[in-house]
Amino acid sequence: MKWTDFIFSGLLIWFAQLLLADFLSIGTIRPDFLVILVLYWSIKYGRTIGTISGFLIGLLIDLSGTASYFGLSPLIYSITGYLGGYLMGTYSRINPIYFSISWVAILILQFLIFCVVQYQDIWIINPQLFWAKWFGTTIYTLSFAGILQVIYPLHKIN
Amino acid sequence: MRGLYLAIVRNKDHLLFVLALVFSSFLLLNNDDPRMHVIRGKAIETVAFISSPMTWVKSLMFLEEKNQLLREKNLALSLQVESMLNLQRENDQLLDMLDFKRQTKLILKPARVINKGVQSNLLSIVIDAGERDSIKPNQAVLTPKGVVGKTIVAGETASIVQLITDVNYRLSVRILPSGATGILRWLGKSGGQIREVQKNVEINIGDEVITSGFSDIYPSGLPVGKVVAVNDERGSFQKVINVNSPNDLSAFQFVFVIIDDSYEMD
Repeated sequence: MKWTDFIFSGLLIWFAQLLLADFLSIGTIRPDFLVILVLYWSIKYGRTIGTISGFLIGLLIDLSGTASYFGLSPLIYSITGYLGGYLMGTYSRINPIYFSISWVAILILQFLIFCVVQYQDIWIINPQLFWAKWFGTTIYTLSFAGILQVIYPLHKIN
Repeated sequence: MRGLYLAIVRNKDHLLFVLALVFSSFLLLNNDDPRMHVIRGKAIETVAFISSPMTWVKSLMFLEEKNQLLREKNLALSLQVESMLNLQRENDQLLDMLDFKRQTKLILKPARVINKGVQSNLLSIVIDAGERDSIKPNQAVLTPKGVVGKTIVAGETASIVQLITDVNYRLSVRILPSGATGILRWLGKSGGQIREVQKNVEINIGDEVITSGFSDIYPSGLPVGKVVAVNDERGSFQKVINVNSPNDLSAFQFVFVIIDDSYEMD
């Protein structure tokens, strides 16, 4: 894949995130398309590409939004890219269920870190609300990732 | 040296990850740096420019909903204004009544109109004062602007008042400044008419009409209305005077009943 293809597809999904996330939001919960892209890239191209793309996309998100904690998105996207890279080429070697559990767990972890930092006040004041936010954000993005599995499964790119 | 280089190349993914973590943490820990604010400000301007068409489309989508909300709000506010205007009117009426009660020497009992019927031109009303409040039949009922009628039935806590607009109502009145007297009766929507007025007295439009005092019910000097027309027909021995009432007889809410007229109006 050429570097221009990375830029093109990255910008396309970034635009989609920028313009469509509000339309698809449920209350304060919005889907995260870019983390799915980072996950796909990392599983396809490995840890290095996953980490770099995760970091850059995270930086782009924080620059384009009103992030309360600037630097949080590069952090969590880098983690997703890095961990997702471990799944490169593993689909044929491990149980497909473990493979699926792994990428789901990576997304759960990334949203957990995000929520712990972003909603640290809520965590202290109202833990139930905190867990609801974490669960809601995770499930909503996972549902989009699930829909994408039907169209373009992760194991095919693996 | 070569070994170090090879180790870096071999573990470049791990090193990159560590670098990303360090740099991200550095950004996180320097959120309050003014230079960071400048960079973020510039980035936000660019993003705002890119997303402006979408914001425009979105605003169009919600236009109808907003319009509906504004209409509902407008209606609610209109009702609120109307309610406040009614309260102001009621307050003005009560203030007028207080002033009137302070000025007059008559012993008055204030009462609220509790039933007016459904006709705009009322014949009788029900007030919330009765025998318990010393109300008896044939007591004068008035507002600060003038006479409105008399009690005809007094219950324990409520009474019926015959209005001066009733066709069977008659009131002995005096026209000022001439001092001519006559009998007032009401002729529906066209207003009141005073008959039995001597032909030789000079009466002008705008003259004041008050109660004459030739009555057991009404003390003299209570305002009744103003002259609006004088009919002096040839061949007739009397003048016919048209009168209007200062009271809006379909809208008042509070009245006074004169329960003791031993002191007359000044």
